[in-house]
Amino acid sequence: MNPAEAKQLFEERLGRYQAAIALEPTDRIPIATGSNYFAEVYSGNNHQQTIYDPERWLQAEEAFMRDFPEVDVLRNNRIYAPLYDAVGCRTYRLPGRDLPPDTPFQFVEKENMKAEEYDEFIDNPTRFLIQRFLPRIHEEFAGPCTARSHLAWLKGGMAQMMMAQVMRQRTIHLEQHWGMPQPMAGFFLAPFDALADVLRGFQSMMLDLYRYPDKVKAACDVLVHEMAHLALAYADPLKRYPIFVPTHKPMFLSPDQFDEFYWPSFKKTIEILVAAGHTVRAYLEGDWGAHLHRLLELPKGKVLCDIDTQGDIRRAKEVLGGHLCIAGGVQDSLLILGTPEEVRAHVKELCETVGRDGGYIISGGCNFPYTVKPQNFRAMIDAVMEYGVYDPDIKPKPKPPQPSRVPVAELRPQQFITPWEVKKAEWGGVKGDEELIRRSWEQLEAMAYAWVWQWLL
Amino acid sequence: MTELAQALRDLDEKKVYALVDKKIEEGTPATSIIAECNEGIVAVGQLFSEQKYYISQLIFSAEIFKQVIKRIEPLLESTAAQDHRGKVIIGTVKGDIHDIGKNLVITLLRGAGFEVIDLGVDVPAEKFVEAAKDTGARVVGMSALLNFTYPEMKNVVDALAAAGLRDQVKVIVGGAPVNEKVRDFAGADFYAEDAVQGVNICKEIYA
Repeated sequence: MNPAEAKQLFEERLGRYQAAIALEPTDRIPIATGSNYFAEVYSGNNHQQTIYDPERWLQAEEAFMRDFPEVDVLRNNRIYAPLYDAVGCRTYRLPGRDLPPDTPFQFVEKENMKAEEYDEFIDNPTRFLIQRFLPRIHEEFAGPCTARSHLAWLKGGMAQMMMAQVMRQRTIHLEQHWGMPQPMAGFFLAPFDALADVLRGFQSMMLDLYRYPDKVKAACDVLVHEMAHLALAYADPLKRYPIFVPTHKPMFLSPDQFDEFYWPSFKKTIEILVAAGHTVRAYLEGDWGAHLHRLLELPKGKVLCDIDTQGDIRRAKEVLGGHLCIAGGVQDSLLILGTPEEVRAHVKELCETVGRDGGYIISGGCNFPYTVKPQNFRAMIDAVMEYGVYDPDIKPKPKPPQPSRVPVAELRPQQFITPWEVKKAEWGGVKGDEELIRRSWEQLEAMAYAWVWQWLL
Repeated sequence: MTELAQALRDLDEKKVYALVDKKIEEGTPATSIIAECNEGIVAVGQLFSEQKYYISQLIFSAEIFKQVIKRIEPLLESTAAQDHRGKVIIGTVKGDIHDIGKNLVITLLRGAGFEVIDLGVDVPAEKFVEAAKDTGARVVGMSALLNFTYPEMKNVVDALAAAGLRDQVKVIVGGAPVNEKVRDFAGADFYAEDAVQGVNICKEIYA
């Protein structure tokens, strides 16, 4: 593909994707899952190769793009295993390391923060993560400080830069050679999930709702700002792509619990990010049926909601249609076990019902599974091309990039471990242009901050 | 419904413990304390079926029940082996390490009076077969969170058949990616949409 073709294709795809999110007219329903597991292993590479060898990962996706050029986005952020190895991270079991190479990576849910540590966490969450949390999840940091542990921190930072380089090159390659945009850039967790996933763990968190309800709420309030800063650290500076948030625990909560513990801090985090000029892509994992109506409180056309396999896409459209775009609907089990004829009929029906009037994106339940049959995937695409067209005369164009940073009054300034003023005072002031020194000092503090917080995911 | 069963149904943790402690002091037999708690757990399951309770409430009731068992464990040792409703084998299939759903089902099964043989996570087919052979259980339950495990569920059913055990056991599948289509593919007997339904199926099998 020559550069002009790639550019045109890139703009068409991105324009189509952005239009759907913004509930604006476009030419057809986008095919734009956030997590395309199927593409990651399409060329026959195993799961270990995907997370250890960026070249093999890219080759798999290039084979995928050749066979399925109608797909509109391909994800970029993926587990980069060398980073996990450098620090000895135990929150995931990785293929090739802890699991057979042909098994997907899996999250290990465990209590990594004790109930009696809530106050310490609330007082200074970043310090808590560094001093208490990371030594519990990174085996290299577990013991007292040694040459090995110091070096592990350094290697962790360097691996992060290696990963950033890999992702940057991928982004450029996908854009310039394949005309392929990203489904999202940057990530965060709902404050409740940040607390529940790796800090307290599922079991303990469910009990905390009864035993320490006030502490849970106070911790979620603090996490609003940390999560917003984390999201902004890795977000697309041009604001073309939504920021990604997977939601994990609402499916387990009663509507009252959701309203009391989950929603206020989650809503506030999203509002901050939208005020900063971004859009958000939220995976509504599990069944959000009891909580869907709350999403109407979010700004119109700014949040793309992925409906999971256990959710009801038709009901989601009824509730959210005209206010927020939804993605999903294609049954995972049908893609894996069904026939092309079944898939075709299923997708036709989705296009004609859920897809009608726009605001809809074709996807599986928050992903396309690893073990999709290729002929079923082809049948899905063909059905979208046939039944998912709105207006072939529309030529999708992306929205103008928004490079400027928008300050948000509701967002508290980042809490640095060593603020510039502290360092300056230790030095008794500086002799030259303070601004030159301060800027880089704070930039490195912010990068290290984001490094620490990403381990919540 | 007794006061203890009600307190458990209402998730009144402190009251449950206070009542149990009092009963222990009064010399109430452990089996009758458990029977009262079972009644409470059944009521919780009922509220869940009516969508008045959600999974968080099931988890909390299970935790309270667990704490009660801990309190009366010393008494249990001295009583004769209890009568069980029947044996149920359960595990998360090979390749999958998730256990929230499985553990919830186990607690509810035990709450309903079943003896549960928990094979854990990442369980290969031969383990299911071995357990079915050794225990004579009439139910095998398979759990999964990840959808790449469909062929593994079928493997287990096929292995049970190959070992000549297919007529001895009913196979139940459950978990987020499972549905009727998956049940059919795997050749299982039942698909349980949620934990409470799983328990109800076991009750029917042993009825």
